[in-house]
Amino acid sequence: MTDVLALSQERTQLFHDLIDGRVPKRVPISAAFAHEFAIQYAGRDLTEAQWDTDALEPIFEKTCQDFYSDLLPVSAFRLPSFYKILGSRNFVMGSNGFIQHPEVEGLALEDYDAFIASPFDCIVERVLPKLYSNLDTDSTTKSMVMAKAFKAYTDEMANLGRIYGNLIQKSGYGYVNFYSGFCEAPFDIISDQLRGFKNISIDVRRVPDKVEAAAEAATPLMIKMGTPPNPSPYNATFIPLHMAPYLRGKDFERLYWPSFKKTVEGLKANGMRSFLFVENDWMRFIDYLAELPEGTIMCFEYGDPKLVKEKLGKKHIIGGFYPVSLLKTGTKQQCIDKAKELIDVLAPGGGYYFSFDKVIITLDSANVENTKAVLDYVAENTNY
Amino acid sequence: MLDLNALTQAVGDLDETAVVQILEAFVAENPSGEEAYSVVNACQQGMAIVGELFEKNEYFVGDLIFAGELLNQAIDILKPVISGDNSKKIGTIVLGTVKGDLHDIGKNIFASMVDAAGFEVHDLGIDVPPGDFVEKVREIKPQIIGMSGVLTLALDSMKATVDALTAAGLRNDIKIIIGGNPVTEEACKQIGADAFTTNAAEGVKQCQGWVK
Repeated sequence: MTDVLALSQERTQLFHDLIDGRVPKRVPISAAFAHEFAIQYAGRDLTEAQWDTDALEPIFEKTCQDFYSDLLPVSAFRLPSFYKILGSRNFVMGSNGFIQHPEVEGLALEDYDAFIASPFDCIVERVLPKLYSNLDTDSTTKSMVMAKAFKAYTDEMANLGRIYGNLIQKSGYGYVNFYSGFCEAPFDIISDQLRGFKNISIDVRRVPDKVEAAAEAATPLMIKMGTPPNPSPYNATFIPLHMAPYLRGKDFERLYWPSFKKTVEGLKANGMRSFLFVENDWMRFIDYLAELPEGTIMCFEYGDPKLVKEKLGKKHIIGGFYPVSLLKTGTKQQCIDKAKELIDVLAPGGGYYFSFDKVIITLDSANVENTKAVLDYVAENTNY
Repeated sequence: MLDLNALTQAVGDLDETAVVQILEAFVAENPSGEEAYSVVNACQQGMAIVGELFEKNEYFVGDLIFAGELLNQAIDILKPVISGDNSKKIGTIVLGTVKGDLHDIGKNIFASMVDAAGFEVHDLGIDVPPGDFVEKVREIKPQIIGMSGVLTLALDSMKATVDALTAAGLRNDIKIIIGGNPVTEEACKQIGADAFTTNAAEGVKQCQGWVK
């Protein structure tokens, strides 16, 4: 057996132990960098390189070589080709070349009823033309635009799939994928893509019945979207959570939680565990999180690691909490001390993997030397 | 004349039905401009209650957004009886989401809250290059600059903006507050801002303190 294959098996084992509820040999590490970071780190121009996914392999490889991780640390979600073809309004490029999600209204207030009656039809007929300006045209042109965009999308994803496979093999990463499916909490998709942050905040007070019915109606769609063709107990469906911390408790309880819980349970019934990015601070809702199916993976941004360990540590898999902002502003020693502090709280008894509190999206988001030092520290000092 | 305390409380409670009812009845009585201003003032005090409840974790970001909407609605109802714009401003603020970042929800919340607190607000929008801040400061000479961002990369842009203001010789004439997801005390020091906050209500208080 080659060294790199043995390494891959060892790393796979770390994550299988984590997922199966055994204490692994060492704290497993999942570092996460966006493709924008990898492009800039390789010294390439983001505005140019993100158009050519064929050429991304050596660019991603540089990040793989220099930053320790047990799983493939680079992934790409938002690429300009298909968004440009669509004339996207919900994913647009900033002056730095970084594609972002601005506030957008895809669903008009008066279209709630159409959405509740048939979410898929409503998205196709009413929402997409508002989100994608090049679909706001006659049906022949629209079909061509959609076909071109899908072709671009599948080409890009095929390229990325090939590159991911090559890099996993070359670098000996574990065969566990936390991004094997993707969906959102029903309330979040209604907020982020359909109504917008501002509108939903107003809807929650003016038309709560409609919001509740819309979240309910979106649930089967989210379960379907989040179920990959080949579910595996060692892979997960990524669900980046968004709106809960901005809601009052009673609104969360009625409008956010029931459909979200159903989504996670529905994925579980389909053979998929959920990997939640728990954005912002969910400590108000920690007892709700405790109700989610056993083995749900949760990467926390902010909150109290001690409380999370105490309430969720025996049932769920926990990661995150390590502040990317500290990597940006701290000294190397401060950064390492922080890792040690978190590991002391979260690692005992297993059920924990090391990750930063969010994906590192661009080169100027973190100090590179600090980032390397922290990952190396964890890899070398956290044997159980 | 209506019960000003009841109006303040209704705004604080974010009770839209009550606020609209009170204001429509008030406007129907054809009040004087002076009366109208005391009513605007009562609404602004209601916004201060909203800020306090936010700081106490009884209201959340969604409530601040709704409060901004409610205040706009109140002003729209009152417009016919407010004669001209002779409201006194307590200070001037230039705001923007810094270069490279397109997120503006937090900035918009802060803008509506400082507006309600009586500041004249100049909002430069999103993805604002340092040069645009410098130009605006030269033009209107504000007391305060507010820089917002959600992405961690915004910290570099904030620093670049402070550096540009310093290079232009304008830094000493203004107070700078930074806000948004990535800001911390450490970042604030490195950027060279005067204050930082991740809490819009706290930020408003800071700005009020500066212009006292």
